Amino acid sequence: MSLRLTRRAGLLGSLAAPFVARTAFAQTETIRIGTLTPLTGAGGAYGPAMVKSIRAVVEKVNANGGVLGRQVEIISEDDETNPDAGVRAARKLIDVNKVVAILGTWASAVTTAVAPLCWENKVMLFTVSGGDGITRLPHQGYIIRTQPDSALQAERSGKFMLDQGAKRIAALSAQTPFAASTYATQSRVVAAGGGMSVGDIIYDATKTSFRTEVDQILKLNPDTLFLNSYQPDLAVLLRDLYRAGFEGKRFTLGYAANDKLLASVPQEVTEGLISYAPSPDLDSPAFKQVQAVIGANPDPYSCQTFDHASLAILAIAKAGTASGPAIHDAVRAVGNPAGQPVSDILEGLKLIAAGREVNYSGASGPCKFTAIGDISGCKFRFDKVEKGQNKLIELS
Amino acid sequence: MPAIGFTAIYAVLRFPNFAIASHMTIGAMAGVLANTELGVPASVALLAAFLAAGIVGVASDMLVLRRLRPSGPLTTAIGAAAMGIVLENIVRFAFGNDPRGFDLPVLRDLRFRIPDLGVLRIGPQQVEAALASLIAMSILFAFLAFTRSGRMMRAVADNPTLAALKGIDAQSVARRVNFVGMGLAGFGGMLIGLDTSVDPVVGARVVLPVFAASVVGGLGSIPGAVAGAFVIGIGEEMSTLVLDPSYRTAVGFLAILLVLTLRPRGLLGERAL
Repeated sequence: MSLRLTRRAGLLGSLAAPFVARTAFAQTETIRIGTLTPLTGAGGAYGPAMVKSIRAVVEKVNANGGVLGRQVEIISEDDETNPDAGVRAARKLIDVNKVVAILGTWASAVTTAVAPLCWENKVMLFTVSGGDGITRLPHQGYIIRTQPDSALQAERSGKFMLDQGAKRIAALSAQTPFAASTYATQSRVVAAGGGMSVGDIIYDATKTSFRTEVDQILKLNPDTLFLNSYQPDLAVLLRDLYRAGFEGKRFTLGYAANDKLLASVPQEVTEGLISYAPSPDLDSPAFKQVQAVIGANPDPYSCQTFDHASLAILAIAKAGTASGPAIHDAVRAVGNPAGQPVSDILEGLKLIAAGREVNYSGASGPCKFTAIGDISGCKFRFDKVEKGQNKLIELS
Repeated sequence: MPAIGFTAIYAVLRFPNFAIASHMTIGAMAGVLANTELGVPASVALLAAFLAAGIVGVASDMLVLRRLRPSGPLTTAIGAAAMGIVLENIVRFAFGNDPRGFDLPVLRDLRFRIPDLGVLRIGPQQVEAALASLIAMSILFAFLAFTRSGRMMRAVADNPTLAALKGIDAQSVARRVNFVGMGLAGFGGMLIGLDTSVDPVVGARVVLPVFAASVVGGLGSIPGAVAGAFVIGIGEEMSTLVLDPSYRTAVGFLAILLVLTLRPRGLLGERAL
């Protein structure tokens, strides 16, 4: 028995030997970066494009001689939009492939599950998940997130309403985990800007009529309403507001005021509705590069992973070594406001090689991060409905 | 309306037909298609909603639920729930998941200023919907009271054995009650769709209050379903005078608890069809 085991182990060992040797050889040669995106499952529509835009950055770098004289190798894994599968894939990327960074986790549940593996192994994690709790994990700086959390979104929407002349703002919100915190943040911003938050009502989104809620909120005499809704309940709310004769401004979220809503509700009811959504930086040269790879209308996530790859590689160049801690230490330094503005990876690498400071801003936005790894600002698009169509009125 | 359909089917066939939600959806979808694709006015579309849901109701009963009925009400109820999921997904597969709206203008409310009290607001479309319900209900009561089919249904609901002895064909009554009951569900589904938008889950979203109204009124009693719907609807609205609107739904269910504790057979008792 013991003999057979030994023989089998020996056989396996000898079979594996060439791979071990190759791995060892490769580690001195290439810098390994993992992508962990949802290629299947609920996020399956986004994952493939996210990887494609990462590969575009890396191929460009490799064609130009790599970084620190070494080629960059991408190892792509599927998280199946499932925390279990995500953890298995992350273990493989960290333990077997020895990657220095993992890019592109999408679902908040996956990111939350994978994050401890990353910070314990000192591997940098770049994510597009929006869940508020993620950057509050004890990650010691090993998480960078390019998606704005709901607090940042609330702040921007509050400012925008003030800019549009709102004085008395009230909110009607569906019951969500972020309804109360969004209103609280907006109220703070609005009060600081000289406006007033007159009240909020949280409603049950499954109701078929919101006449009562509308009556109660209009009693507060607001000139502007913030509708923190999803698409089905927004369709009902807009009708009820119209019937009640509300003439003030109405703001809502981009994912609620989508084309499907506009197609199913009469034009006179949606006219003038303003919505906002985090947006890639449509004017950025980096965005045009993403367009060239993905198509005319890239989703926000492939813009963000494009920046993940650029930031990781620039940070490696800046630090002078390719490791998780090196990226951890240098990722904010490549967005130095005093440095030369760049949005192209090769230009950035050239400047860093010349010993210059760089200020990277990418396809998803300025890419500046707070101490806990949240993006400190990004572009938002504001659309206004005119004759049943969303028209971009501001990108800022 | 759907509560009446639900309770009528329960009265005659003695099982809760949980497929009612998908029949509301089918009615609403038929109504919206008739209105937007064929360009018929809302009143005609309501008829289409009634017919489509009624026909599907009869078909699903004949093909599936009838075979389950001998195995007892619980089996049939579970079968009906499954049937509902299947029907909902057939609608989704055929017409897509996107919301559709009726091709009707949304009218501003009429406002009346009442001295010392403030402004009274009345929605013309809600008045129309209420009138449509009232007309449908009058027709239903006349149908039950004066027609042969109606009398047969009442007879079976009252005493199935006696009705069978008198030569009333149970299958034929089952078909008729399903047609009327599910037709009413479709009718109600479209009235809801008029105010909101129509997608495959429009029925599932509102089905809980429908059950609640039937239970409060007394399962199997049509006037009870009407009374139950009023109790729950008015109760929920009045509660907002003292409570936050987020608790509106809870108030409806509190009404169920109260009614069932004080009067376990429902407001009007069962079997008062």
